[in-house]
Amino acid sequence: MIARRAISFAVPLLALVLAPFALPPYAATLLTEALILGLFAMSLDLMVGYARLISFGHAGAYGLGAYASGWLLLHAGLPMLLAIPAAMLITGIVAIGIAWVCTLATGVSFSMLTLAVAQLLYSVAFKWTSVTGASDGLAGIPRTPGPFGIAVFGGRMGFYYLVLACLLGALVLCRAVVRSPFGAVLRGIRENEAKTLALGYNTRRYKIAVVVLAYALGGLAGALYAPFAGFANTELLFWLLSGQALIMVIIGGTGTLVGPILGAVFFMLVQQELSSYTDSWALAFGLIFIGFVLFAPQGIWGLAASRFRRGT
Amino acid sequence: MALLELDGLSCRFGGLLAVDRVSMRVAEGEVRAVIGPNGAGKSTLFHLITGLVKPTGGTVRFAGENLTGLPADRICRRGLSRTFQLTSLFPEMTARENARLAAQARQKRCWQPWGGSPLFGAALRHADAALEQLGLTDVAHQTAGLLSHGDQRLLEVAMALAQQPRLLLLDEPTQGLSVEETALAVETLGALFSDGAMTVLLVEHDMEVVFRLARTITVLHRGAVIADGAPEAVRADAAVQTAYLGGFD
Repeated sequence: MIARRAISFAVPLLALVLAPFALPPYAATLLTEALILGLFAMSLDLMVGYARLISFGHAGAYGLGAYASGWLLLHAGLPMLLAIPAAMLITGIVAIGIAWVCTLATGVSFSMLTLAVAQLLYSVAFKWTSVTGASDGLAGIPRTPGPFGIAVFGGRMGFYYLVLACLLGALVLCRAVVRSPFGAVLRGIRENEAKTLALGYNTRRYKIAVVVLAYALGGLAGALYAPFAGFANTELLFWLLSGQALIMVIIGGTGTLVGPILGAVFFMLVQQELSSYTDSWALAFGLIFIGFVLFAPQGIWGLAASRFRRGT
Repeated sequence: MALLELDGLSCRFGGLLAVDRVSMRVAEGEVRAVIGPNGAGKSTLFHLITGLVKPTGGTVRFAGENLTGLPADRICRRGLSRTFQLTSLFPEMTARENARLAAQARQKRCWQPWGGSPLFGAALRHADAALEQLGLTDVAHQTAGLLSHGDQRLLEVAMALAQQPRLLLLDEPTQGLSVEETALAVETLGALFSDGAMTVLLVEHDMEVVFRLARTITVLHRGAVIADGAPEAVRADAAVQTAYLGGFD
């Protein structure tokens, strides 16, 4: 049993480590983007899957991280290895205010507030030309080497490993958090918030904490995306991306952390394949989404786990 | 000195005076029942004490400290644990996890976002002890939402007990139970309260249950206290007879 568990972790890990050697450059680049999106979707799962805080505005975290890291690389001349964590920190700090406002409401109103905040950030990105470049966005974002002249992460392969390290680090962190006493309280909030409060937990504080953590990790994903793509534009703050992230979480399997990463990879693959045949690929993807909701509500991870348990 | 002291506690919902200047003392080790006809304000009184509803007048003092107007979670952390009239559990967790989460709230680092095995261990000890006291050890690993209604009611009491409260508040513990389940619940709770180590305030509809469990009774009618004292005295009280119209059956 333990051996099987070890294998089930080691094999995909090994595959991810060796992937850039086996894949053609174009596919390796796609995989890098998929892992960034996977980190983004996983950060949303922390809110949606563990505290039933359904955000319709998680693009706010992604865009914020992307603009912050893009600006720091482009205008502050910070090396990439410092700009990325700094952007994550900035996103987390801004998220304290966002979380404080959004948790004033619960349920659908909470979701609407997260959407409103993300749309507000979208408008700011459009108007604050001197910092965000308005509709042009920030272009030509460099992967500045350093500190101490560290340049290995600037190349295609090096950047892939940087993304992989961030994703795995975030996954380990999130797993520790959801299994901790704090995580147990989040589960309580998910199942019965009124009771959790009556048991003596200040539920609002717990909700603010998990939203801040989710935004910081979503910001980390965005902070990686800016130097990956070389640009940051308002699309990264648009509600469409928030919706896509929710779809990745649901298709991958809510409340599983790993599932949403698979959901993001699946989303990228389907988008890649279908869009070469038709412009209305989103329509086909919508059908796939409906299929998952109806026939596999546990998502890809749920399907895989049940197969694994059956031992086939 | 009384553990819980209510002075002129009132609550007005618009034109309705749900709780009308209620004053009451609960001494350490006392088991007191609050009774009254439907709509007498019993549950509202519980909500006022535990901070789920803010009083519009009067004070709640607990162990000499003024708790009036504090949020529910802070009042609970002072040592008041309650159950609800409509069972309130975490339906997807096991019975043991329910009790563990309740006990965890009393630990110093209940928010710690990492590790926590020692913390879970301490919480589990209290949880298991409480489950055993209520005879739920056999169903500890079953999903709470799938337990029988009777076990669910007892589990909620176990969750409150796992917090080792200084004052236990039970809101109609036998609500919706069958005759057999009620008998079992009364027996279990009676044994629990018999040594006088626990201070309990309970709201109850079923007079049989009240007279079996409580040693003192407060009668509410239209939000106000109309009688207060030992069960026999209250049973004989003319005002109480009138409030209940047909009297006790």
